[in-house]
Amino acid sequence: MPDVTSKKDVQNLPAVEGDVWADFRQVERLTLALTQSYTHTLGKYSRFFIELENRRFMATHCGGCGKVCAPPRPLCPECLKATNWIELPGTGTLETFSVLHFSPGSNADVAALPTPYIFAYVLLDGASTLFPHLLRAPLEQISLGMRVRVAFSDHPVEHPIHLMYFVPLE
Amino acid sequence: MMRVPVIAGVGMTRFASERLDCNARDLLAEAVLALLADTGMSDLKAVQHGLCSYESDHFNRQMTLAAILHDQIGLLPTPTVRVEGGGATGALALRTAWAYVQSGLCDSILVYGVETNGRGVSSQTANQLFALSADFDWEMMIGGTYTGFYAAMMRAHMQQFGTTPEQFAHVAVRNRRNAGFNPLAQKPMDITTADVLASRPVAEPYRLLDCSLLSDGAAVILLATEDWARANTPRFAQRPVVCFTATGCGTDTMRLGDRYPHITNFRAKRAAAQQAYQMAGITNPLDQIDVAELYDSYSGVEIQAVEDLGFVAEGTGGASIASGMFDLGGVLPVNTSGGLLGRGAPVGATGIAQAIEIALQLWGEADPRRQVAGARRGLTDTHAGIATISVVNIFERRD
Repeated sequence: MPDVTSKKDVQNLPAVEGDVWADFRQVERLTLALTQSYTHTLGKYSRFFIELENRRFMATHCGGCGKVCAPPRPLCPECLKATNWIELPGTGTLETFSVLHFSPGSNADVAALPTPYIFAYVLLDGASTLFPHLLRAPLEQISLGMRVRVAFSDHPVEHPIHLMYFVPLE
Repeated sequence: MMRVPVIAGVGMTRFASERLDCNARDLLAEAVLALLADTGMSDLKAVQHGLCSYESDHFNRQMTLAAILHDQIGLLPTPTVRVEGGGATGALALRTAWAYVQSGLCDSILVYGVETNGRGVSSQTANQLFALSADFDWEMMIGGTYTGFYAAMMRAHMQQFGTTPEQFAHVAVRNRRNAGFNPLAQKPMDITTADVLASRPVAEPYRLLDCSLLSDGAAVILLATEDWARANTPRFAQRPVVCFTATGCGTDTMRLGDRYPHITNFRAKRAAAQQAYQMAGITNPLDQIDVAELYDSYSGVEIQAVEDLGFVAEGTGGASIASGMFDLGGVLPVNTSGGLLGRGAPVGATGIAQAIEIALQLWGEADPRRQVAGARRGLTDTHAGIATISVVNIFERRD
């Protein structure tokens, strides 16, 4: 007998009165996989990630309007002019956050995080925008407006954004 | 203007957490059979154009659905086009169809939305797939989720305006209660504010019962010139004429942090509402709109919406909602269908289902338990991301 090798599930749904699909109540479902791997360029944002390996926190500066963007923006959205890299001291203020109890497990770095984890938005000193990242601190020590700083990871990571995270500024 | 589109007919499936027996094509077939019953048409051969509304190639695991779906519902070789705008897809599709009719490109256009967001993938995979519409390297890769982005916005709203979890729990309770009056709703629930506050935290300050549903479902609306509708849809003459009178659309940064210091509310939604109000001649929306379907992807988002749509002043949404003014019987009933929280949200069909609810309300055909008496003008509010794309559509009864 021929067989279906993927995990399958066949059921007969109960017919309901007046159902136009009475002839179509037998349902088979398969469990299939769709996996992909691909080359992902960090493009014009690359230097940010490369400098994290050197324990430096970079942002972009627009010579036209003076806006400092972290995360970086190679093209200033206000002036439509190419920006330039600058280094920020890496200290800042917690502006808002969420406590995530459910992890999407987006990559190996995220899958390794214990839950709950703190997804924080930080206004870095010298920046005009908020930078999102994990804030590693006990929940009871977290409050809006607290001072934080960039910490650099000593462990190997899958995605270079995990070369940094935030901690309370001592 | 004679080319202002009218709603010639509507159809939708019940929204469900999982339709074992349906892929996207099967769901659309059900919605179209409902449309035929609604319009009195026996087929779609007279329809001049199609407009396909679905968000995700990932969830549906099928690309180029527009032509495939046309084949499914007997619309070949009629032209079609796909519109995609994240969570706003269905509303953006209707807005696009508005322009197709207004331009004279066609006199009738079937807007068909479908999505299989239910249980085809795990919650974890669903969150990853949805997070692909966030910023991959800067948000998704650190474990960000949409629940988390919305939650961070709500925390800022709470901090700035004193909004409370009890206030947004009111939305979670009311919309699920309204869903009980809608036979096509996915998950009506009879719950209390205390139940919401006791549900498990997902992304604080949001808890499980603050979160909307993942759904399988389809919804269709036939838009046409009034002349075409009179000539081709037998039931049209038996109903008040409902026109699609105005539409607005706005955009904002993908990342919340790039909006600093404006992180409590939705700029794109304000822009969309202003355009739509100007087009419809609305100067006092709370007074001039009778019923509205708001994008309650999370309970607190409705609080932000009533502010950004200009129903109440910025910062007063929480107290206004808790007062009951947006409940059935209130000043401006919202989410009478149950909203995304209770009716469900198969993304490409969501904005269309919202407009169907407004059509039923304006025709006076909603279940009596949720019918807003004498409703003459209704609004839909639909957005993508954290209102990265926002669409406001306005419908009016003309008689």
